[in-house]
Amino acid sequence: MQRDYHDLWGGAAMTATGAAVALYCLGHYDFGTMRQMGPGFFPVVLGAILAGLGLLIAIPAWFRAGVVAPFAALDAVVVLAAIAIFGFGLTRLGLVTSTASAVLIASLAAPRGGWLWRIILALVITVLTWVIFKQGLQMTIPVWPDF
Amino acid sequence: MGTWDGILTGFAVALHPSVLIYCVLGVVLGTVIGVLPGIGAMAAISLLLPITFYISPEAALVMLGGVYYGAQYGGAVASILLRLPGTPQSAVTTLDGYPMAQQGRAGVALFASMMSSFVGSVIGIVALVWLSGWLASIATEFGAADYAAMMVLGLVAASTIGSQRPAKAFAMVVLGLILGCVGTDVNSGASRLTFGRTELLDGINLVALAMGLFGVAEVIGNIRDAERKGVPEHVNLRQLIPTREDLRRMTLPTLRGSALGCFFGALPGTGSTISSFLSYATERRIARQPEHFGNGAIEGVAGPEAANNAAAITAFVPTLTLGIPGDPIMALMLGALVIHGIQPGPMMLDAHPDMFWGLVVSFGIGNLLLLILNLPLIGIWVSLLRIPFRWLYPAIIVFVCLGVYSVRGSTFDIAAVAVIGAAGYLLALARFNPALLLLGFVLGPLIETNLRRAMLISRGDPMVFLERPISAFFVAVTVLLILGSLLGVWRRAKKAATPTG
Repeated sequence: MQRDYHDLWGGAAMTATGAAVALYCLGHYDFGTMRQMGPGFFPVVLGAILAGLGLLIAIPAWFRAGVVAPFAALDAVVVLAAIAIFGFGLTRLGLVTSTASAVLIASLAAPRGGWLWRIILALVITVLTWVIFKQGLQMTIPVWPDF
Repeated sequence: MGTWDGILTGFAVALHPSVLIYCVLGVVLGTVIGVLPGIGAMAAISLLLPITFYISPEAALVMLGGVYYGAQYGGAVASILLRLPGTPQSAVTTLDGYPMAQQGRAGVALFASMMSSFVGSVIGIVALVWLSGWLASIATEFGAADYAAMMVLGLVAASTIGSQRPAKAFAMVVLGLILGCVGTDVNSGASRLTFGRTELLDGINLVALAMGLFGVAEVIGNIRDAERKGVPEHVNLRQLIPTREDLRRMTLPTLRGSALGCFFGALPGTGSTISSFLSYATERRIARQPEHFGNGAIEGVAGPEAANNAAAITAFVPTLTLGIPGDPIMALMLGALVIHGIQPGPMMLDAHPDMFWGLVVSFGIGNLLLLILNLPLIGIWVSLLRIPFRWLYPAIIVFVCLGVYSVRGSTFDIAAVAVIGAAGYLLALARFNPALLLLGFVLGPLIETNLRRAMLISRGDPMVFLERPISAFFVAVTVLLILGSLLGVWRRAKKAATPTG
């Protein structure tokens, strides 16, 4: 049987997150009293509520048919890799190198072959970011790698 | 200060060249952002927030406000021409706007959306002036319990009104509240859920959260879909002219939509998206021929567009008079004010009248500009839709990263954007609404502080929430909303269980 997997997994993730937060905070922070609430009060109560809501979402989904939407895993990995390269490179490789490489990596996800448009796009965006953020806003970031 | 003095002061502030230029910049940028699917006002305002460090607080707020309501105008263009909402607020406009375009009436649909947006904004501005004055005068009576009860009402309203799946909506709110707990606890000084990272002591960066959930997650979800959509037809000025019959049919839905938008915009939690959906539902319910809806009824374009614009203006009421942001975008606006050392609240109208009135007048100028500029420039906005998404999204990614980095110069926040973006994509895939998460995140610390203060004052007696008339009213409405939504779920379940022929 095809179950409503989106809600099933979504609800399960909520329950797991809520329970983890509630237990962690119960163990690490003072719960306090109603009059003098401790730092643990709010997250423990919220974690418990979230765990309950997760069950409310997941249990009916088990008995219900659902349509599974396509999961763009490759696009997600490519976009996240571009961000990671940019974040890692910004202070080490400089604005120009990290922008150009982030754009080239991100463009891999586009459903269109060819390299020329990717290289032109990387050049255009790199010049744009340099003009806006370095020249316009005077941000203190290195432009080139620091050898 | 009287209303007329206020408006005069406002003109002096808003017409000053150093403010006016940012007003123009804001509305033009807002329209562009609104037209382009895949980036909304939220991402644009997050990106501009760091820039506001460099300009005066008046100019900053005027510009960010312009982006917000400008995006409402632009959002309708892609909805009507491509059935691809430019912004979430204009999603409902696709229902009748796109059929109108298919019948060769795209120009009239665009005119209807622009005109009713303008009328909605003007009515919203009047409501903003009137409601702010009234709310500021009673807000001095508000105690900690009242603030806490009002914000809880806002969160419950946001997750129940117009929601088919209240449990999923409320789960997002609660997750947002939990994320809001991260960082140093203001009452005890304990660091909560930071796992030893000093970068998290100030909490999760709001801009990183907003950009991850809206910028990155939407880019991932749109890379493939956005390419498949066709290219829009050319629209020229002559096609914009409506018939007398069109104008007659637009009038009442626009006024009703504006009224709905003013009310739900001013209520913290609900905002322009909910208002536009409610306006559509209302128009269809009271229409003499409801079968026209979905097949190109101009009422279905005029009402929601008026509602979302009116709501975008009155959303400033709780933000400016109570210091409570009604939606995540308002939270970013509030952030911009706080950066400049201005604390919004009941005292703001007296302490910074030039700020308040300058903003009000700039709304009027900005909306007039949008109406005058957008109709002749419609060809340019339509041609923006011809830009392939594959040229845009790598730039969006780089700008998102730089925008987040510039808030406090931390590459930790860029890594946070990647993690939040991945989580946001998964949430969107499982059809959870990330806007509610952000709302919970923003209101969470305010609710916790006020709740703890209220319990301390009442010596631990929760009855304080029912003894104070203001908070008792909010609690009563909250309970009604929850009961109403449980009834709705029960009815739908019963309907699904007994198959109808």
